[in-house]
Amino acid sequence: MRLTALLAMAARVKVPPDYRYGTSRPWTVGAQRMNPPGKKRRKVFVEPIQPEEWSLFKGDTVEVLAGKDSGKQGKISQVIRARNWVILEGLNTHYRYIGKSGEYRGTYIASESPLLVREVALIDPSDRKPTQVEWRFTEEGERVRVSLRSGRILPKPVVQRRDGIVPEQWKDGPKDTSPDDALEKTYSASLKTFEEEIAEATGVVETRAGRRTFWY
Amino acid sequence: MAATTAGRVLSLCRQFQKGLSISTVLPLQPTKVLTSCKAQLSAFRPKFCLLHINNMGTSLAQQCRALHTSQWRRGLEAFFDETPNWGEPTVKSGAPWTAKQLRTKSSEDLHKLWYVLLKEKNMLLTVEQEAKRQRVQMPSPERLTKIERSMKRLDTIVQERENALRLLQTGQERGRPGTWRKDFFGRTFWYRFKEYPIPWYLNRRYKRKRFFTLKYVDSFIRRRIESHLHSTILKKKADLENKRKLQEKFSKLSATT
Repeated sequence: MRLTALLAMAARVKVPPDYRYGTSRPWTVGAQRMNPPGKKRRKVFVEPIQPEEWSLFKGDTVEVLAGKDSGKQGKISQVIRARNWVILEGLNTHYRYIGKSGEYRGTYIASESPLLVREVALIDPSDRKPTQVEWRFTEEGERVRVSLRSGRILPKPVVQRRDGIVPEQWKDGPKDTSPDDALEKTYSASLKTFEEEIAEATGVVETRAGRRTFWY
Repeated sequence: MAATTAGRVLSLCRQFQKGLSISTVLPLQPTKVLTSCKAQLSAFRPKFCLLHINNMGTSLAQQCRALHTSQWRRGLEAFFDETPNWGEPTVKSGAPWTAKQLRTKSSEDLHKLWYVLLKEKNMLLTVEQEAKRQRVQMPSPERLTKIERSMKRLDTIVQERENALRLLQTGQERGRPGTWRKDFFGRTFWYRFKEYPIPWYLNRRYKRKRFFTLKYVDSFIRRRIESHLHSTILKKKADLENKRKLQEKFSKLSATT
């Protein structure tokens, strides 16, 4: 077990404490080129926002309050918590060439720049204007975002899963366990160890007494 | 019992029946016997591939007809995926087992599930290796991570139950005996005991290990302690400086807005 744990740890990307997060995620090739292992960059101060306070999710519609596209509304396509960044679809763009090779200058595309969370504001669905949002509890006990101006609840946006699976339309494959079988309770608490229970179930009777061993 | 789990658990049971004898209440069903042959197994067809990339001009059936079935071929079917999945760019797979679901299962179920997961993992590793050999993408590599996570969680659950039983019956926090010892450099560490067939006074390699510190190491220990204290102080100072800078930058921001 210990060896597998070690190997699993090696697979995950190890990031130093003073790592500078960019728009590429740390495990991508671009990020590894930007931040090779020995590189130290000037520290970037990120406003400490508590995880409970964070109110922007992927798929939310927000309005830009500052910058080139201020006043425009857009959907969040990516959230980078480490820098308090939010990347909107098609807003706050600069243009660059991509896929340059040899003499070919590449394709001219618009690439979005990240915006800080303080530079965007969530939109109240009732009047479609930017508003401040607070986390409150409903009568059922559910934690929801509430617009401070109108008191309307902002539902969390439904985002499609990365693997494209829609849980409601899922059909079990031949190797999948049905939900009933997966949730079926077969455990009964007993004072036997795992090995003893298996030996009992499989009918293995150990009559040999091991030789004397020493632990030190 | 659903046919899905029955099929899976039964194929497992059949393996078990070879080694141990377990009485299974579930009715036996014939598995899907793979009629296409595995040319990897024969020395004559080294160019066979799972992913249908190399055709070699001859059809699979023609290649297979040349070989005869033999005893040693059976049992290796488990290393390969189901025939409809061969050559597919993606294979659908469900969610991994969660720890909450696994906690409701009995020891026998967990034991059987472990081997089902292990066989699936071996199958996926074979596919991965074949993909590397053919220099193509493995279809749906997330299946491997799902299996690994399920197995890790299963192991965690078994450890939890063992820990609980041991604490209840003996009060011991650790399953493996150990003790705090000082090494030759004066560092205190948790030494975990090992199992030996001979006592320590007859074990020459063990006697060469030194779990004591000599007097001349004292000055180095003192320097190590000093450096540790210095680094804690530096860390505290760095934290305070960080807090101060954050206050300065972000309280100014909130003051202006």
